Amino acid sequence: MNLRPYFSQSPVVRVLSSVRVTVVCLLLLYLLTLVGTIAQIQEGLYLAQRRYFESFFFLAFGFLPFPGAQAVMWVLFFNLLCAAAKHFVYRWQRIGIIIIHAGLLLFLVSGYMTLHTARESHLTLSEGQASNTSVAYHDWEVAIWEETAPEDNLTTSRDVISLDTRYFRRGQEMDLKEPGVRWIVTEYHHNCEAYKGQGSNTIRNASGLVRFAAAPLFKEPEKNTPGGIFRITSGDSAGIDVLLYGGENIPTPVTIGFKTYNMVLRLKHFPLPFMVRLKEFKKEEHPGTQTPRSFQSLVEIEVNKAWREKLISMNEPLRYNDFTFYQASYAVDRMGRESSTLAVVKNAGRLMPYISTFVTFMGLVVHFGIAALRPRKNSTEKTSHA
Amino acid sequence: MRNLVPVFRFVTGLFLLAVWISNPRASAAQAVCPLDSLKPRQVKSLETLKQIPILNQGRIKPFESFAKNFLLLLSGRERYQEESAVEWMARFLFAPRATYDDKIFLINNPEIPEALKIAPEKKRRYSYRQLEAGYEKLKELVNVISGIDEKKQSVVDKELLRVYSNVLLYIRLSGAFMYAVPHPDFTFSSAETMKELDLPGEPGRFFSFFDILEKSDGLSRIMELLPKKNRTTWTARDNDAAKIVGSLSFWTDHYAACPLGIIPTQRHDNEEWLSPMDAIIQGFSDPVTGGEIKNLRDMTMHYWNGSQMEFDMSARAFGDSVFKRISPKEQKAVGTAPLELLYNTLNLFAWAKLFYAVGLILFLCSLLAEKPWMRQATIAATVLGFIPHVTALVLRILIMSRPPVSNLFESFIFVGAVCAALGLILEAVNKNWLGLVVANTGGFVLLLISGKFSAEGDTMQMLVAVLNSNFWLSTHVIAITTGYAGCCVAGIMGHIYILQALSRPGDLNRLTITYKNMMGILGFGLTMTFLGTTLGGIWADQSWGRFWGWDPKENGALMIVLWCAMIFHARIAKIINPLGAAVGCILALVNVLWAWFGVNLLSVGLHSYGFTSGIANALILYVVIEILFIAATVVILGQKNMKF
Repeated sequence: MNLRPYFSQSPVVRVLSSVRVTVVCLLLLYLLTLVGTIAQIQEGLYLAQRRYFESFFFLAFGFLPFPGAQAVMWVLFFNLLCAAAKHFVYRWQRIGIIIIHAGLLLFLVSGYMTLHTARESHLTLSEGQASNTSVAYHDWEVAIWEETAPEDNLTTSRDVISLDTRYFRRGQEMDLKEPGVRWIVTEYHHNCEAYKGQGSNTIRNASGLVRFAAAPLFKEPEKNTPGGIFRITSGDSAGIDVLLYGGENIPTPVTIGFKTYNMVLRLKHFPLPFMVRLKEFKKEEHPGTQTPRSFQSLVEIEVNKAWREKLISMNEPLRYNDFTFYQASYAVDRMGRESSTLAVVKNAGRLMPYISTFVTFMGLVVHFGIAALRPRKNSTEKTSHA
Repeated sequence: MRNLVPVFRFVTGLFLLAVWISNPRASAAQAVCPLDSLKPRQVKSLETLKQIPILNQGRIKPFESFAKNFLLLLSGRERYQEESAVEWMARFLFAPRATYDDKIFLINNPEIPEALKIAPEKKRRYSYRQLEAGYEKLKELVNVISGIDEKKQSVVDKELLRVYSNVLLYIRLSGAFMYAVPHPDFTFSSAETMKELDLPGEPGRFFSFFDILEKSDGLSRIMELLPKKNRTTWTARDNDAAKIVGSLSFWTDHYAACPLGIIPTQRHDNEEWLSPMDAIIQGFSDPVTGGEIKNLRDMTMHYWNGSQMEFDMSARAFGDSVFKRISPKEQKAVGTAPLELLYNTLNLFAWAKLFYAVGLILFLCSLLAEKPWMRQATIAATVLGFIPHVTALVLRILIMSRPPVSNLFESFIFVGAVCAALGLILEAVNKNWLGLVVANTGGFVLLLISGKFSAEGDTMQMLVAVLNSNFWLSTHVIAITTGYAGCCVAGIMGHIYILQALSRPGDLNRLTITYKNMMGILGFGLTMTFLGTTLGGIWADQSWGRFWGWDPKENGALMIVLWCAMIFHARIAKIINPLGAAVGCILALVNVLWAWFGVNLLSVGLHSYGFTSGIANALILYVVIEILFIAATVVILGQKNMKF
């Protein structure tokens, strides 16, 4: 059944399938890329990326609504679909064009998948140390877990309630089923400094902190240290005020009913599918220079209760299901002990860009190849000047 | 020959000897070199020296390349006046004082000599003696700058740091062969001591550090008795021995950690190479290392005496000894030395530049009065330029055992070669001068720019870990630079199209041919830039776990892809005419330059340094000229009713 006449009649399809829309979208994307690149000098990569590339709209010059790259790419996506339905000529001579645009559609889909499903974190291990959680670069969480007897602390896992702090707003309330309490955000700062000393003595904090001074956000998000004051109420009780600060090392214990819970504001932790132990870290430099030649982490992973070794080096990551572990950086402490940082990426659509690249490139080769091999209509003027 | 350890044991054990060690006379080790007033006779040929392998900047290279890179680093030139880099370097290493007045320190910023109270030089190059006068001030300024955050350092600050680092390097390297040169620190007042040590001549004669080192057995025997004696009962012989041992100790400390990697260590797992003094400290007791140190000493002496044959024999003996004991991997690197020497000698890029220039001149002449032979001659010139261009690229691949593009310099020569190749293909197809203009313009201009980058020193640097992967370099970088080349050629053809439209607007046949070729090449540029960009994403995914991170370099490449795609779609939508497409191609060229230097340009103001700010100015000037050209074109062709 040929659906083309049906599509062609729709005014929406007629507008959206226009090549002029494609040109405008390409121009907008071009401008956004240019502005988003230059803006990185002032705003840093993270903020520029969120403002220009991941947004639907932003205010240019502080007042003028302007489409962000995500909005433009959505328009381009539908433009491509509509053009494919209305304008594309499905003949062998045009096969290159069709393949190119199929590849581009795949690119747009893979971009969407990566934006919404990929998760980046890191895992820092000293030699001999093992872990089964990775830590986010700059996303924070309030972690709450029930205090256990000291002998149970030797276990390698525990149940933790995690509250995503990204959307914390003053006055925000939520019900936490497990401790059976109501959680109210009294105050929350994405970057602040915390102080001990005089203040309300009703606020609980393990380090003796009592108040915050809000600070402007850094353009490097990993430099921000958040802090918040939260009220925990259960039943008709007046509630307990808890202060949590990202710069603290120790959790604050709070007793609710007959149980004691530890609470901490920390970089988000993610469970890994296995335990990873760093056996050895090796760094080589080109002789007589400070230029690094290679970094290598020899790790052991525990899969199905069996440990196996794997060497992770630059350009040679460890892959397991949707997880990939990359050699990211290293450090040497004052005692000379080496630690290695592995970037941990979970991305279900990891292969999509590979497929899209292959498809689009093949399309380009076929299209321009056909154009180049097509018989020439005009004879050239052999001695004319350029 | 014996290890120095027994000798130093006495040095550290004797309190009185410590007085000698800290004696201010010793600190004047360099200042009173008796060779100050003498000139070395020098040897006429340094062919054997050229081939000696040196480990420098992580790479084993022939002495000639080391010399060239060092001179380039200091002076921005590969020669010093009439001397080749090797000749100057030999003079510097074997007789450093003979180079104190050579004006080899390039100082780009005139504020620096002013701050150091040095009379400014027209050619911006200063001698060590001139800088020595302002050294304390230079050190003081550098101390202040070191406390400033790197991002906040000004162009002058960066230049000061560069000059200081070069002066330090010069000073440290100048001591590399001092161990072989006679010096007053090693004189004896007692004939008895000299006789006991079996040293020739009369008291007061200067010996070298090496001469004394060879007598370390005898010296140890004298020193063994000293702790048992009262200082007041020391004889002239004892004083001589204590003084000499003090000098030995000072020299080993003063000339240690010299950055001349010429003697490999004994262990294959240690890839470091040492300077003669460091080798003396670490392994003089080893007969092979000791022999090599002696070979180098002999070379120094024969250089001073002008004994060519002896010099060559010592150099060969040294080279053979080193080659025999290094690891197979190092032997492979040393094995490429003849290729590198050939590369240095042939100066292929200069020839390529010359022939491309001849091709361009022939084309310009043909515009005035075309003769039938001119096109053939231009083809010959282009091919003669292309052959050395590609040969140099191949030689570099063989020498470095890696793909042709791994730094900015190589990207220019590679893009230049691809432009020339595309031009020759176009000429073979069209036979209408178009390809010849493209090949010669692209090849010549890009080789000219690459020359500026080679002035920074070694163009064959080692790669950092993340780049140290041949597969990804050979795919991503080659694809993207080929894409750059395609867009550059399309940009050149955009200019040609507009010039043709300006000169003969009615010649539609010619305009159509140029337009079709231009769009074809732009398609090629788009395809390769797209491939390069996405392969870069795959490389990033392999290395860091993310395909796309919106970083400036990625964005620059994406902008080329978007721009080229926009030109094609704008033509389909009939928003622009062929003339508009030609303007688009010119702007694609501007885009390529942005992507190529985007990251560096963004750094301007944050951490700019001499050459980058120079590039920024040149690029801004180029963009302004291009915009003026396009504006003038729009006005003139608009008046002729030609539509964009």
